[in-house]
Amino acid sequence: MRAGAGRVTAGTSPPRVETRGYVPAPLPGALALAVAALVLALPCAAADVFVDRAGDWGLVFSYWNGAGGSFYYPEIIGGGAALFDADGDGDLDVFFPQGAPLGTAKPALPPPARPGGRLFRNELISGSTRRETPLFVDVTEASGIRSPVYGTGVATGDVDDDGDVDLYVLAFGANELWRNRGDGTFENATAGAGVGDPRFSLSASFADLDRDGHLDLYVANYVEFALEQNPTCYAPSSRRDYCGPSAFPAAPDRLYRNRGDGTFEDVSLPSGIAGKAGRGMGVVAVDVDRDGWQDLFVANDGMFNFLWHNRKGMRFEEIGLLSGAAVNADGEAEANMGIAAGDFDADGDDDLFVTHMAGETNTLWVNDGTGSFEDRTNPAGLAAPSLPATGFGTGWIDYDNDGRLDLLAANGAVTEVEERVRAGDPYPYAQTHQLFRHQGDGRFADVSREAGAPFRQLEIGRGVAFGDVDNDGDLDALVVNTNGPARLLINQIGQSRPWLGLRLVGGRRDLLGGRVAVVRKGAPTLWRRAATDGSYASASDPRVLVGLGEAAEVTEIRVLWPDGTAEVFPPPPLRAYTPLVRGTGRPIGATTETPEAKP
Amino acid sequence: MTLRSFCCALAGLGLASLLTAAEPAPIPAADLSALEPAVARQIQDRQAALRDLLNRDPDARELAAAWADLGMHYHAYRLVGPAETAYRRAIELEAQNPLWPHLLGGLLQEAGRLDEAAASYGQALALAPDDLPALVHLAEIRFLQARREEGEASLRQVLATAPQEPAANALLGQAALERGDFQEAVHRLETALRGAPGANRLHYPLSRAYKGLGDAAKAGEHLTQVGSVGVRVADGILDGIESLRTGERARLESGKRAYNAGRLAEAAEEFRQALQARPESVEARINLAATLVGEGKADEAITRLREAVALDPANATARFNLGLLLAATGPASEAIEHLAAAVAARPRDGEAHRELARLLRGASRYEEALREYEKAVENAPADEAARLGRAETLVRTGRYSQARDLLEEDLKALPKGLLLAHGLARLLAACPDPAVRNGARALELGLAVWNAEPTVAHAETVALAWAELGRCRDAARWEQTALDTARKAGAAEPVLAEMQKVVERFEQSGGCRP
Repeated sequence: MRAGAGRVTAGTSPPRVETRGYVPAPLPGALALAVAALVLALPCAAADVFVDRAGDWGLVFSYWNGAGGSFYYPEIIGGGAALFDADGDGDLDVFFPQGAPLGTAKPALPPPARPGGRLFRNELISGSTRRETPLFVDVTEASGIRSPVYGTGVATGDVDDDGDVDLYVLAFGANELWRNRGDGTFENATAGAGVGDPRFSLSASFADLDRDGHLDLYVANYVEFALEQNPTCYAPSSRRDYCGPSAFPAAPDRLYRNRGDGTFEDVSLPSGIAGKAGRGMGVVAVDVDRDGWQDLFVANDGMFNFLWHNRKGMRFEEIGLLSGAAVNADGEAEANMGIAAGDFDADGDDDLFVTHMAGETNTLWVNDGTGSFEDRTNPAGLAAPSLPATGFGTGWIDYDNDGRLDLLAANGAVTEVEERVRAGDPYPYAQTHQLFRHQGDGRFADVSREAGAPFRQLEIGRGVAFGDVDNDGDLDALVVNTNGPARLLINQIGQSRPWLGLRLVGGRRDLLGGRVAVVRKGAPTLWRRAATDGSYASASDPRVLVGLGEAAEVTEIRVLWPDGTAEVFPPPPLRAYTPLVRGTGRPIGATTETPEAKP
Repeated sequence: MTLRSFCCALAGLGLASLLTAAEPAPIPAADLSALEPAVARQIQDRQAALRDLLNRDPDARELAAAWADLGMHYHAYRLVGPAETAYRRAIELEAQNPLWPHLLGGLLQEAGRLDEAAASYGQALALAPDDLPALVHLAEIRFLQARREEGEASLRQVLATAPQEPAANALLGQAALERGDFQEAVHRLETALRGAPGANRLHYPLSRAYKGLGDAAKAGEHLTQVGSVGVRVADGILDGIESLRTGERARLESGKRAYNAGRLAEAAEEFRQALQARPESVEARINLAATLVGEGKADEAITRLREAVALDPANATARFNLGLLLAATGPASEAIEHLAAAVAARPRDGEAHRELARLLRGASRYEEALREYEKAVENAPADEAARLGRAETLVRTGRYSQARDLLEEDLKALPKGLLLAHGLARLLAACPDPAVRNGARALELGLAVWNAEPTVAHAETVALAWAELGRCRDAARWEQTALDTARKAGAAEPVLAEMQKVVERFEQSGGCRP
């Protein structure tokens, strides 16, 4: 996506009726127009919030885990997706890592016709042409991407500052860096860049951790697993099942410093990162104490989470337990998986939401502004609904653009679901995904049942990437399901409320880690983060989409850039994407100055 | 007319019992085909017992107990659907028995169906208001449902009867913490901890509560004690479910729990039962061996591990454990063989590489040891012992300057590494090659490690550094410090006598340089 190229008018998507169960008879001319206008004006409550458009729009992909009855641990873990503008045309393209055969057992499901990770180009914008809706075309072959590894996840970032977004594919096996040449093709730059970590990796984060202007890379590694060392584990029923994480040693994470030329130096040891090994599933770079330096929060499966506090100079100190975000309020280390970082309570700091196993609750850790967290899951109403589900990908998503951050969680079990066994499901791990609406008082309501068919289907949900796929001014979600079709959840209602689209730019690339304060008249300032990391094994749209709700009068935009500087910008036009270019705003104060958050 | 509506019509005529006898409710089926054979047999036995009873025209109470018994067996293996059906049938048959809704409540709570679980506990409490565990479970549910006040009310009912009940106090402490009443939280959580001192997870909310009170010292003290053991209400009804589990898996699980809690005799018994249930179980043998080691029965442990290796020669854990045990008690060559097999099976296991390297070094196979140490460092870069072992191996082969340079590099990578700093200090203070020595740097490092950890070895290193600098009186003073520290630690007399000789040697004029 080029700066400024993504401007669209809200309301370009036609209304959908097929989910309502009846099709009206054709109406003559003028009457039909009048009825159409009436349909458009109907309140949102009557419509599904999300509709799956993956198949309609050509995004046909199933993550294939290669399972053949051996219960290899990687089978139950992948995969993810990336929503990123691969060709710089202003719309979001898609990359999916793909599974591969493991061992010698015959897989239960046939392998995909086209193996390896797949790249889909979005034809929403093509040159000067604008389509009404996205259309995805598989361009993997033409792109030069040949990724036959057992892919588990993906991260995105412009590692060589050339204005093109590069891909980092996480794998059970050596990870891969695919450098975007800027002409629609990619080259495998793994060896030259020095980032081919051979461990079992799931998530990664690109962030400028030393503030030198280049994206560094943190890789969350999971466990030490080898096909030859495949322990036999059982469900409580005593049936053979996948092992839990404690059956395997934790694999140490890796931190790579970008030398500035797109190559990396492994600084895991001198940075302090190598000092602790966890079973990392999710990672997010977020400045939890607002000192202007991005910290790293790592969700560890069945272990204390890590909060690597950035001590500057590429040195980190692990303060998870001290900060309150290592364990839940009960002191229990849970099966931490996907992460959402965002300022849901509009107090100017980023809070953390982490998905967990069935039998545990998902956990909401509220930041007090200093990087000290408190588990507020129960009073937020998020405990009970998450108890029966195993959550993976997640994100703060203001789906109704009311200015409040809601939550989406993709669910899918990792040990057999007894109900599915009884139903005769040969791969009995499916659950339903969930949507939680922020009610405005710090409490959330489970609105999954009213959110649309995608939230009623049984799937084995894993990674979720978020972004405005149809550029209509509301956030959509791309959900990856194990052994099932990926779902492109298109938001049907957000665009009805005013919104702002922002892209934080410096040099030729998106400035990941930048924070935006949208100052509104008579309403709380809204804080958002430009990032591609978080969720689970996935990479999201770095553009910042801010729903304004009923308080649409924006007085100014403040940006805290990842290099520690801050600028003020005048209010940009509503219902459009606007680039905010570093150096073109009015500088404000010291590098660590934090604008007033509350009205 | 369908059969169902026909039944209803008969019921209206008071003839329903006739049909009940003719067509008993179907016994809920579960797919037992993939279960462990012992488990499948156990469930089939319970189903058969119920079937037999149904054929004998039992009274409702007896029949309800049989249904509940079957339900409990399903419940034990988390076969939720059939268990629910069985419990509900028991409730239908004997509506006045509070045990059945209590069991159903437990099942539904585990399944995350909280509203239904709360309703069941409510039913149990209506029949037995003194069912304290049900009150605690109800509170657990209410907290999860963001209905804190109701939860607290339930718990206050519990405390009216059992004021020290640990789980109730712990939950009330958590609730107080949630609403910011730190004083109350401390009171409740301390009470809970007194009642259940092994529940070391309670130290975490306690730490948060003390932090809230501004008592950083207490907060820190509790934070360092946080463990993984929580507190649960003693529930005579639901706790019995677990004991119904049979077969290898169940015994392994309970054995592991006992082992983790330090109850070694109980753990050993569980693992033996697991072996009985499946005589070819490798995991049972490995776990039994680990428990036997804890009990000081190394010989029997070795026997079990040899059996495990015979059954599964590629099992890295069995090989690793056997290698370590043999290294301590048996022939080094066999220990090396097993550890080599362990690293072959799990090439990224840094600890296994390090232990193999240590044994190879002990067998004077230095070049092989160095290769293994390299792999250990590569796979576990933060492993100080591996880095130190690598340097020590170089020292043993006379490559002193190489060892020094590597240790300097290691120390840059792990600046807080006390083992490395001490190793380097010792080398710089007393290296056989005088050209490698550097007394000033040795002293700097030696003092730093002493300040961090005042141990005998660290004091001796400082003494050696002073000696290298020719400051014999200081060397003697520090050797005396080492001697005093050793005495305080209860070192044996011959050791102390040797150290005294070193003090005296340093005190003698005429040079003390090593």
